[in-house]
Amino acid sequence: MIKKVIMTEEEMDRTLSRIAYEVAEHLKGFNDVVIVGVQRRGVSLAKRLQKSFRDMDGVEVPMGELDITLYRDDLTLLQDQPLVRSTSVPVNITGKRILLVDDVIFTGRTVRAALDALMDLGRPSLVQLAVLVDRNNRELPIHPDYVGLKISTDKSDVVEVRVKEWDGDDQVILWEDGGEG
Amino acid sequence: MSWKRKHLIDVDDWEREDFELLLEQTSNMDSILDRSIKKAPALRGKIVVNIFYEPSTRTRTSFEIAGKLLSADVINWTASGSSAAKGESLRDTIWTLEAMGADAVVIRHGEVGVPYYLVEKLKKASVINGGDGTHAHPTQALLDLYTAWRELGSLDGKKVAIVGDILHSRVARSDIYAFKAVGAEVYLSGPSTLMPTDINSLNATYEPNIAEAIEGADIIYMLRIQRERQDAGLFPSLDEYHRRYGLTDRLIGKAKKGALVMHPGPINRGVEIASSVADGPQSFILKQVRAGVAVRMALLYLMLGGVKE
Amino acid sequence: MKWLVNGRLFDGELLREGLCDLVIDKGRVAKIAPAGRFVPPEGATRIDLDDRILAPGFIDLHAHLRDPGQEWREDIISGSRAAAAGGFATVVAMPNTDPPVDRSSLVRYVLERGQSAGAARVLPAGSVTKGRRGQELAEMWFMANEGAAIFTDDGLPVSTAHLLRTALLYADDLGMAIMEHPEELSLTKDAQVNDGPCAARSGLKGAPKAAELIAVERGIALAKDTSAHLHLTHLSAEESLEAVRRAKEDGINITCDVTPHHLTLDESLVEKSGYSAAYKVNPPLRSGRDLEALWEGLADGTVDAIATDHAPYHLDEKDLPFQEAASGIASLECAVAVVFDAWFKRGKPFGIERLLQLFTAGPASVLRKSDLGRIEEGSVADITVLDIGRERRVEAKRWESKARITPWEGSVLCGWPVMTMREGKVIWVDGDSGLHAERD
Repeated sequence: MIKKVIMTEEEMDRTLSRIAYEVAEHLKGFNDVVIVGVQRRGVSLAKRLQKSFRDMDGVEVPMGELDITLYRDDLTLLQDQPLVRSTSVPVNITGKRILLVDDVIFTGRTVRAALDALMDLGRPSLVQLAVLVDRNNRELPIHPDYVGLKISTDKSDVVEVRVKEWDGDDQVILWEDGGEG
Repeated sequence: MSWKRKHLIDVDDWEREDFELLLEQTSNMDSILDRSIKKAPALRGKIVVNIFYEPSTRTRTSFEIAGKLLSADVINWTASGSSAAKGESLRDTIWTLEAMGADAVVIRHGEVGVPYYLVEKLKKASVINGGDGTHAHPTQALLDLYTAWRELGSLDGKKVAIVGDILHSRVARSDIYAFKAVGAEVYLSGPSTLMPTDINSLNATYEPNIAEAIEGADIIYMLRIQRERQDAGLFPSLDEYHRRYGLTDRLIGKAKKGALVMHPGPINRGVEIASSVADGPQSFILKQVRAGVAVRMALLYLMLGGVKE
Repeated sequence: MKWLVNGRLFDGELLREGLCDLVIDKGRVAKIAPAGRFVPPEGATRIDLDDRILAPGFIDLHAHLRDPGQEWREDIISGSRAAAAGGFATVVAMPNTDPPVDRSSLVRYVLERGQSAGAARVLPAGSVTKGRRGQELAEMWFMANEGAAIFTDDGLPVSTAHLLRTALLYADDLGMAIMEHPEELSLTKDAQVNDGPCAARSGLKGAPKAAELIAVERGIALAKDTSAHLHLTHLSAEESLEAVRRAKEDGINITCDVTPHHLTLDESLVEKSGYSAAYKVNPPLRSGRDLEALWEGLADGTVDAIATDHAPYHLDEKDLPFQEAASGIASLECAVAVVFDAWFKRGKPFGIERLLQLFTAGPASVLRKSDLGRIEEGSVADITVLDIGRERRVEAKRWESKARITPWEGSVLCGWPVMTMREGKVIWVDGDSGLHAERD
């Protein structure tokens, strides 16, 4: 596979800042907002957005983490049962405006599962989605509200988002299937 | 690390990492019990059948809730007033249930080894042992482990004292193994007439003096004493048993401060455990019950999902 | 007339040097000579044994043929054929049938039924007490006259010391032995396994070895007291063997047998197999140490015979969870191979003659039948031909016996009988063994 760095550490930092400002602008302040990061890397990105909001406005926006494993639509098809991660949203989300954060949106199925999981936790008044990368191979009618980078990929390509907390560095890599396996 | 086991008959072939994985998964499932909508769709479309040849409301209900929380369809099949009463063999019953589409069978039976027998007979369904005679009760051991771990963290070097009728207790056998596997030291106490002859093969330390056994313990695990054992002449009276081996407020003082008091239930108040202790601040008995649901959710999820070889 | 050539002859005591030829006429051994030494008689059927062992017909002292009364498990016909297919020319049928064999008419029934099978000789054992109820002595003289070979209440010990003592004296008058199943019942009630690690880890009730030892000591004391012959069957514990050893040293008239399963299987298999009922038996499989003690007993002469205690059951009675399943191991058709294979794998701890004695002269002397268990000119032509190099898989579904479950199912064993003869007739031959002979 052919490796292409499509976002460096610096670019990632600037993109996340830009998203933070877009969110602040559209939501007109952080009243009743809860950030929910989708496990795993969505959580890291959500933390950074939370920090940005803190730096911008001095506001501490509550943050939670959501594991969508139990809501996946492909559980009976997988060879190995995927392990469940923790879900902890420290506030009641009913009536709140949720900013769902994930690293990549691809087919849209993960977001669909995240929405179902959120609905089982309460009844938010609004859910908006922020992603770092939009791969544009949608299989469901789902759209992100805030996008860092939009790219066109083939189904067989792999987009790897690396974050310091899990992978040791920050960057986004596109692995293209060169056709030779 | 991934989950490869299709059946759960006993924990005596689990490695330390298997226990750690299960504890972690349970912890992640636990939070579902706190939600207002206690449901996740993970086992939608799966059929779990509880086959209980021994009466048991608590374990059966625990499995039922666990399955339903994950959206599985749970069916209860009890032996009395059923085909078993008409003389249908276990083998025929199990084949019938498998033919009806059961994905998992939770079996509780009064005889040792029945789950192994079922595994040999079933082609597709997973078998979970809900207790086979005096031999094993693996889900109890796992929920006990989870309760202790949730409270104390690592159990390495912690002292666990299991007191009572070890001879007839499947809970004791499974718990001894589980606690030892995660690094705890296990002490057994009770009258010798209620201990197996070859107690060394259980790999725990027998201490007939209960005060010594409980001395410095982090966890005190009391077993239920059954009236039938007195009828069988294994000890003279419940009163004498309580005086010698019952857990009282005074006796608890010998354990470590804040030691956990646990019991598989149902409790015999005033026999193996004084009411004041059972209802007291150190009692984790109800936490065990909650843990039971979470542990069983984790097990059902791990065993019923995916494509098993 | 038959002419067996090129056999390695074991005569009941010794294995002869070189190969031998043997002529059988009118059911008896007519002539024995070194191979190739003489011309075969006219019209004799020649059977080339090609270096295989030529032994006296093996004798099984203890098998349950379940007939009369429990024929869904086995009957005298299938049992007799099974014995022949296992290399046994003679099998002693236990009397714990329904009704129990406690009178001459039933002894006659067993004997005649056995004869009609045209296979192994079935010698009836008679019960010690009427109805096997453990209260009154049965009519031993009448039974002996009809052909009973030994008396036993097997399945149970003789109920009281008083009754055992009386039985010993009475049987001694007849020149016969009492076979005792040594078990102190109050210690083994509801027991399923040995009282060792398996019992500790499973919670199954264990039978302590003391239960066997107590009954063994009782028997020895009474044999000493009466100077009669007591035979102890299916000994399983090291302590029991030690007691018999000492008794023999003291000149007490005690003999004993052990089973193929106690010689090769131990209690760990119960757990390892996931509590498979194939390993459920009474007395239970014991520890590795007890197993070793049994082999020592074979080597030093403490043990007189190997007896199968063949306990056939219907599949529906054995294919059940451990606690529910019937207790007993079926082995007639693989017992010899089980023992020879184990002896071989243990590095042949004693000479093959000793092992062969345990199937021939040993049991013959327990039964006080001097005409069986040996080969010499004039003896009854009961023959077992053994191929110690032959390998075969144990497959219960192909058995003559009605039993279909055995702990050795699927094992490949080395050392099988390939032909059995009774009174000069070929009652069984293994068609795939390369031995050219036909059943009569």
